[in-house]
Amino acid sequence: MRFLLEPGFFASAPVRTAVIIGALAAVISAVVGVFTVVRGQSFAGHALTDVATAGGSGAFFTGISPLVGFVGGGVLGAGAMDLIGVERLRSRDVATGIVLSVATGFAALFLFLDTSKSATTGATQQILFGSIFTVNSSIVPYVVAMSVLTLIVLGVIYRPLLLSSLSSELASARGIGIRRVGLLFMLALAIAVGVSAIAIGSVLSTALLIGPAATSLRLTKNLRSAIGVACAMGVATTWLGILLAYDSYYWIPSSQGLPVSFFIVALILLAYLASGVPAVRRFAARTGPDHRLSHLASRVVGTRRSRAAN
Amino acid sequence: MTLATFFLTSCSSPTSLAGSKPGVIEAVGAENEYANVISQIGGKYVSVSSVLDNPNTDPHTYEASPSVAEAVGRAELIVQNGVGYDGFMNSIESASPNPQRRVIVVQDVLGLSKDTANPHLWYDPKTMPVVARALARDMAALAPSHRAYFVARLKIFDTSLQPWFNAIAAFKSKYAGTPVAVTEPVADYLLQAMGAQILTPFVFQADVMNGVDPAPEDITLESGFLTTHKVKVFCYNEQVVDSLTSSMRATAQSAGVPIVGVYETMPTPGYDYQTWMMAEVAAIQAAVTRDKSTAHL
Repeated sequence: MRFLLEPGFFASAPVRTAVIIGALAAVISAVVGVFTVVRGQSFAGHALTDVATAGGSGAFFTGISPLVGFVGGGVLGAGAMDLIGVERLRSRDVATGIVLSVATGFAALFLFLDTSKSATTGATQQILFGSIFTVNSSIVPYVVAMSVLTLIVLGVIYRPLLLSSLSSELASARGIGIRRVGLLFMLALAIAVGVSAIAIGSVLSTALLIGPAATSLRLTKNLRSAIGVACAMGVATTWLGILLAYDSYYWIPSSQGLPVSFFIVALILLAYLASGVPAVRRFAARTGPDHRLSHLASRVVGTRRSRAAN
Repeated sequence: MTLATFFLTSCSSPTSLAGSKPGVIEAVGAENEYANVISQIGGKYVSVSSVLDNPNTDPHTYEASPSVAEAVGRAELIVQNGVGYDGFMNSIESASPNPQRRVIVVQDVLGLSKDTANPHLWYDPKTMPVVARALARDMAALAPSHRAYFVARLKIFDTSLQPWFNAIAAFKSKYAGTPVAVTEPVADYLLQAMGAQILTPFVFQADVMNGVDPAPEDITLESGFLTTHKVKVFCYNEQVVDSLTSSMRATAQSAGVPIVGVYETMPTPGYDYQTWMMAEVAAIQAAVTRDKSTAHL
């Protein structure tokens, strides 16, 4: 038992804050992430993490709360992408790429200023890779409020969002304001990225956004249950990651804990790979040429078969 | 700090006291406390500039600018800390080689390994007398006609350190074993010389110094020292700050543990090395004897 759960885990104040922030980040990232994957906006999601990096490092430099910086940066970036035209499929990647590179440039500037011209230490590490155990517990109410608001907005636009994600032609035929729904979704995406940037760092927030969502969509094709599975998986990997990071303090003789972000991302990868096992079998059983993974899957299975024949 | 003040301060650095004059040794102190001692030994025969002198920056993450490279390239005498604290100096020096240049690496004159865990050597009372002696020797080699002048100033410097040594000894005899918590190892050598017992685990201090996250176990331990009044003083490094150290500081404040601000580089203006160190000892003593906080010197 001691090996699994080192002493003081539940009594530790940094762990309590981490568990709350981590769960909230995992849940909204999972919900938003499922739509992100379905809408094919993973690249936009990743670009927003770069914008959040710029916002977070700017916040460090000016001394405002990193939460404001991460989320504010993301919201500004989402607005910019919408203006340049993220909804029009052809210009979407270009808009995303422009916003991404500008944001990364600003992040480089702010991180340089943070580390060379002010007393903030470790800004780069903290912004890029997260610092969940050092989060000030005073921001918890704000994170809760933002997460709840995001979930409510997504609940309200659930049907139009789903329809416009699957077929924008059908959605506009039904009189749905695709642009407005898309913008609301981008804002939700920005908040999800900002909150998980607090938890596991801006660069790695993509992992919580895409990982559980992609995994759950491999396991179920029903969107509601995919959201449920993604939430459960996100929270489970985050909490287990926190536990492992806490325990890692006792693994190494120098008594130095390993970063939470690494454990969370490693667990997400493991879950994703594990979910591929039934998926590969299923795709192999079907032979739909329209399916992107099918030929890959049959190739994998085919090699196995030929090996078995030998 | 706003952008405007950043650009102003970056333009004024490094601070050169005089232009190149014949018979005057051009010297650079990588940190302003070393620059201060150079000028105390060299007097009117040296022109000193310092590289790290902004009390609002973290020296651990400093990157040199072209103007610094130029000053270092010109210098005939350099004092740098070593122990990886100012590694940028080595690259600048090798970029502008000068066979006449004398470089005093404090780590080397103290005979320390480059893996020494705590690089803040200037807080150690044993350090500056050795550095000052090396300075007088190298200055006499660079300007042999002024040897007597440098030796006389070395004597004055050594004598001027005596009140600081006395203050340290007086504190130690009365308050040895006083438990303290720190955010970062900057003043550890001084605290140890004063006989204080540093409860904060060194791994925590090193994590804060290196800008990585301390383990949650250590965070809980450290805040426990403050909330349960296990420590008499909380030494807060004003130059190595992150969200964690500021929340520790708030914890100390609300728990009523006196805070003493400690610095990486000499706070200017108004201080020289001796008065700075005296002020730190006085602040620690005031915290222990009168529960008095000295957040800023």
